[in-house]
Amino acid sequence: MSTNSIVHIGRWGLLAFMLATWQWGWNLKAPLGQIGLGWLVPTVLDPYFVSKPTLIWNRFLELGCLALPRGGWAWNDPQGFLGCVWSPKGSLWSHTLATLRNTFWGFLVGVSSGVAVGLLLGRSETLARIFEPYIVAFNSLPRVALVPLIIIMFGLGDVSKVVTALTLVFFVVFFNTFEGTRSVDRDLVNAARFLGASDWQVTWTVYVPSALAWVFASLSPAISFALIGVIVGEFIGSERGLGKIIIEAEAQLQIADMMVALIVLMVIGVALVLVFRAIERRLLRWQRHHAERAQN
Amino acid sequence: MANEGASGSEASAGRALRIEVRNLSKTFGSGGGNVPAVDRVSFDLRQGEFVALLGPSGCGKSTILNMIAGLIPHSGGDIRVDGTAVEAGRVMPQVGYVFQRDTVFAWRTVARNIGYGLEIKGVPKVEREARVARMIAQARLKGFENAFPLTLSGGMRQRVSLMRALIMEPQILLMDEPFGALDTHTKLEMHQILLEMWERERQTVVFVTHDLSEALTLADRIILLSARPGRIKEDFAVPFPRPRDAIKLRETAAYGELFAKVWHSLGEEFAATKAE
Repeated sequence: MSTNSIVHIGRWGLLAFMLATWQWGWNLKAPLGQIGLGWLVPTVLDPYFVSKPTLIWNRFLELGCLALPRGGWAWNDPQGFLGCVWSPKGSLWSHTLATLRNTFWGFLVGVSSGVAVGLLLGRSETLARIFEPYIVAFNSLPRVALVPLIIIMFGLGDVSKVVTALTLVFFVVFFNTFEGTRSVDRDLVNAARFLGASDWQVTWTVYVPSALAWVFASLSPAISFALIGVIVGEFIGSERGLGKIIIEAEAQLQIADMMVALIVLMVIGVALVLVFRAIERRLLRWQRHHAERAQN
Repeated sequence: MANEGASGSEASAGRALRIEVRNLSKTFGSGGGNVPAVDRVSFDLRQGEFVALLGPSGCGKSTILNMIAGLIPHSGGDIRVDGTAVEAGRVMPQVGYVFQRDTVFAWRTVARNIGYGLEIKGVPKVEREARVARMIAQARLKGFENAFPLTLSGGMRQRVSLMRALIMEPQILLMDEPFGALDTHTKLEMHQILLEMWERERQTVVFVTHDLSEALTLADRIILLSARPGRIKEDFAVPFPRPRDAIKLRETAAYGELFAKVWHSLGEEFAATKAE
């Protein structure tokens, strides 16, 4: 059997085992307890804490408006589905959309400002020295501690989430762009100058492409950070979003609701990282490891 | 400083002066730890001369070239290119430079590397592509137009660097051991390509090398530098007829004679480097 098939069987087997343990593990507690092996089933498997896959699936159908509140299935009743999705108390989809939108803006503004400031300070030694202490000071502050302040300043709406996400994203991208810009090969810069490039042209045709690899290395963590920022913002105070579902589920001990939100977050995270890997492979195809991967 | 400028320049006497170097000195470091690298070097280059700066490693030949190019400031003396004093950091549009290290842009294809300077200058796409195609043919790089540098051999990459400089039609070409990292066979191929180009265009060339056969194959004149600190030791004319054939040239008696003569002088400097 090839290694690949072993890996595949292992992966699916592990998933099946985890789901089965989650679903039925707790049921074994009582019978095993009678022969003194109750400790084999840890207390965290109690559905009170972790719910069960079947319960989570049912809540997913309800929250996702697939099973409609007025009875029946979404695919038989498109109008009922739309009414449920956009109902005033929100659905899984409207909350997810809010979180995604805020993540997108926080990511976009954070990455563009991080790249711009990184390039600027990377190109100017003097500016870098002026700003250095402030950047170090601000970066050493745990950004999550700022969230209450950000919410007071920008309100309970979407803006405060975007701002939280971008303060996290900015620094990761900034530091990478800065390092990437500073480590540009001097000979390449000189070669471009000899071929007639102005300062601005050197920046655009040598610094930016050389730093691009560094920028991309920061984008996967930047996506995670953007999601973290938005979710934490939603925890502390918000009108909608997956973070709000989670925090409400905690208050009402609706663990299945919380699990639905967590699984959606996981899917979003994975999907976004995959998209960026594809973009990176296209833009950095001149680099060795990308070229090799493309050939395989 | 023996017979400076005395031999090589007869053929080119009367042609315009392109590069003047007077008492050029360079010391590295500051305060007490000054290391003299180049010591009062003077020479002239006239239009269309191909000069090799030859010397043992560490003799300051690359330093001299980089000072002429304005890549590093000089500590003493005077450099003029076309009558204008060279200032470190200021680019002279008539000067092309080929680095020792491979400096192709890894993120550009072969064609876009060669066309870089024209792109910067704003040359229209159609004209640019035609000129790039011509360079690619001359560099024997046909079929690799759209390849990224990482898929090329060292020799091919250096050919891209060379063509990227030559497409700008520089009147003065400064080359810092451009073929130093290549194997003998590839080097000969590069010599042949460079000879063909130069014999057509006749740019003024300063070519830094530590390889005597390379200097004899390419140059009209060899300026031999002493071991550190670099001074001009001797100035040899290389009167072989052109067009030259990089391979056949080495079989001639004249080549062997001149080789022995320069080699003897160079050998003394190698010995001096070793004794240090």
